[in-house]
Amino acid sequence: MRKGILEFCILSIIRRGESYPSDIVEEMKGANLNIFEGTLYPLLTRLKNADMLTYRWVESNSGPPRKYFSLTEKGQAFYNELEATWKELANAVNALAKKTESMPDTTNQNPSF
Amino acid sequence: MKKIININFQGRVIPIEESAYDTLKQYVDSLRKYFANEEGRDEIINDIESRIAELFSERLKRGTACITDEDINAVISSMGRPQDFEEQTGGTAETANAYQSSQQQTPPPNYPPNYNSNSVGRGRLYRNADDKIIGGVCSGLANYLGIDPVIMRVLFVILFGALFWVYILLWIIVPSQSLQTNITKRLYRNADDRVLAGVCGGLSSYFNIDSWIPRLVFALPLIIGLISGTMNAIWWNWDFGFAPRIITGSLGSTLFITYIILWIAVPFASTASEKLEMRGEKVDLNSIRDTVKEDLENFKTKTERWGQEVKQTAQELGTRASAFGQTAGVHARNFASEAAPLARRAGNGVGHVIGVLFKAFFLFIAGIIAIALFGVLIALLFGGMAAFPLKNFILEGPGQNMLAWATLILFLGVPLVGLITWLVRRIMSVRSKNHYLGYTFAGLWVVGIFCFVFLIGSFARNFKVRMPVEDKISLVTPAAGKLYIDVNRANLEYYHGDWFGFRFNDEMPVYGVNMDTLMLNTVRIKLAKSKDSSYHVTRIRLSQGNTREAATNTAQKIHFNVEQQDSLLYLPEGFAVSSSDKFRGQQVLMVIEVPVGKRIQLTEALKRYNWFDINVNNRRGWNIDFNDYNDESYGWEPNTEYIMIPDGLKRVTELDPVELKNGRFKIVIDADGEKLHMEGDFENKNDKNHYRYKQLEDSIKEKVKDKLREELRVQDSIKREKKLKEIIKTSASDTKEKNSDPAEEPLTNNHLLSPLMIFSEI
Repeated sequence: MRKGILEFCILSIIRRGESYPSDIVEEMKGANLNIFEGTLYPLLTRLKNADMLTYRWVESNSGPPRKYFSLTEKGQAFYNELEATWKELANAVNALAKKTESMPDTTNQNPSF
Repeated sequence: MKKIININFQGRVIPIEESAYDTLKQYVDSLRKYFANEEGRDEIINDIESRIAELFSERLKRGTACITDEDINAVISSMGRPQDFEEQTGGTAETANAYQSSQQQTPPPNYPPNYNSNSVGRGRLYRNADDKIIGGVCSGLANYLGIDPVIMRVLFVILFGALFWVYILLWIIVPSQSLQTNITKRLYRNADDRVLAGVCGGLSSYFNIDSWIPRLVFALPLIIGLISGTMNAIWWNWDFGFAPRIITGSLGSTLFITYIILWIAVPFASTASEKLEMRGEKVDLNSIRDTVKEDLENFKTKTERWGQEVKQTAQELGTRASAFGQTAGVHARNFASEAAPLARRAGNGVGHVIGVLFKAFFLFIAGIIAIALFGVLIALLFGGMAAFPLKNFILEGPGQNMLAWATLILFLGVPLVGLITWLVRRIMSVRSKNHYLGYTFAGLWVVGIFCFVFLIGSFARNFKVRMPVEDKISLVTPAAGKLYIDVNRANLEYYHGDWFGFRFNDEMPVYGVNMDTLMLNTVRIKLAKSKDSSYHVTRIRLSQGNTREAATNTAQKIHFNVEQQDSLLYLPEGFAVSSSDKFRGQQVLMVIEVPVGKRIQLTEALKRYNWFDINVNNRRGWNIDFNDYNDESYGWEPNTEYIMIPDGLKRVTELDPVELKNGRFKIVIDADGEKLHMEGDFENKNDKNHYRYKQLEDSIKEKVKDKLREELRVQDSIKREKKLKEIIKTSASDTKEKNSDPAEEPLTNNHLLSPLMIFSEI
């Protein structure tokens, strides 16, 4: 997957509220994006180390305490940046993909001079 | 029947099947290796482990008694295997490299030990059709001997002469077959850890050592060569030939060629499987334990097989079969990914070799140029240091001194330090994101350039004006009618010697120096005709300076006294310039006037005098002219007897000896192919050509030539005038006939009329 897109997806999930990694995986699966937890954890750690994310320990009754991640201000800014880039890219790609008219015929065109 | 053990996993006691535990452990180890270079490795592993623990807890809550193989596999497939991460994250180089090899290369204990049965191994010698560059001979041989094909290839290339026919022979004789290599570790060039081509990085992972070790080995002869070359250049002689010596030195060249060969021979580890192969198995406690355990397991299964019930055996076989199927699948996938680049490589084999050779050649040349530049830089730096004691004689005041130091350190030193730093950082693979160091170096260097320019500027100002100080030295007319001029060599030996590696030989204008005295021999002797009947010596001391006063002042400080002993005139060997006087291009011009009919002879020793001019031009800066005594313009040669005749100095041998005895001279001068005969008395005819030192080029030849030219000019002008007259006459008569204008008439009388005027009139 293209670099950055995964981060964008993860951030867009966390942006909606504190989330637990397996919830993120579920969420992404729901959106038809399969991701291994083994991929997710290092990404989260990287984002956390870059001060994009912060986490809170929550006691769990089904195992060890869980880490719940949430966005920092920097993460929010980064998310906005990614979103803008993504929209730009998506618009550009869509615009290109939507075009249906055939290319102008170049065989009979002579250069003006 | 399976043994169940309890493990403490993330602070929880978890009952788990022993085989499941092994799988889990391998999985966690593989993650650990995969994330080995990741920043928050422990945290990531911890997170994943606690998630696994959570999953286990869920399963145990549901009522299972223990964690089984299936559970583990389910967990692992949900978490993903390292090779799956790679696909998802787009295969970032750092994390991709360390995926656990044991998953692929060593079968887990419960798999059949020799599943790799399709490997031919030591059976027969084949050429390898799958992995070949030319004929697959090396690859086949390597497979047969159980070594890396690359080693074989390198061996063949190095011993090309001896093994060429062996290769051809093997190529023809040995049949070709697709061989599945049984080698778990192969030599690759390392894409992730490289300076030039990744050869050293690959070697280091092959031999399991730090990558700086092979780098140092390869760079050592280069460094030694550089250092010894520099030493040579500075302390022994100024020889810049050391640069190729680094390459051609026996050790250096061997390593250089080895590097190039490895570069050509060793493939680049670009895919994940190649990277894994490059690393191979890590020989550590873990793998040793695994091997031991594997053996035990084998033994166990053997004994079990003896005593097991049929059902149990069938079950065992079932798991084996599934496991085998799994590994076969993995293997097939590996093979597919391997096969594609292999096919490509074989196709591009020749092109690859040519490309690499071109690259190698280019880098070889670039390297030589770089090394030469480096050497020149070092030489300049140390040369500058060596010349530094001279600064006392050249530089004035703290300002110039400071500029000189700044130039030396910033302009010459900074690039050197920068270059070394860059090399070391490159070798050690240190990379920093900020470029402050580079900017600092560049900035300092620019400051150095400015210092250099200012230094040159202020230095040149000190040579702006040249002033002479002229004084006559009285001379007793020698009785023999002949004057010998020689050099007084009283304290010659004292000043000679090596000084900071400079050997002051006869070619140098500076013949001796210590910390506060510089001996100069910038002396020139000019012979001229005396206007009366006695010898005269004029000493002109010249010096340059910032102002006229300064120049005159410096010139007056030149101590250059002549000494006469009857017909012998001794000149000092040179003159001293003290560090307080400074070097300002001091020169001494000795003009010796010889009366007509008298003779003069100069000794060989006078040739030791040197002369150079420092010319300062406001527009072009300054330059130094070194003149040699062989130059024609001096007009005399040593150890030759000269005689003065009214037209200038002549060699005695040129004159007619019979006439000479009678007190007359007779000479034949060859001027522009015409023979001129001159003769006369040795009388002082009060010639108007009295010598002036500014007219240094006067000589009889020139005068004769001038006379001839003058004569030709006169003849030519008369001829032209005649022609002109004819033209004017004819044109005037023409105009008369056509216009009959009386105003045109006076034209005929005008001799000075130019053709242009005629045309304008018409």
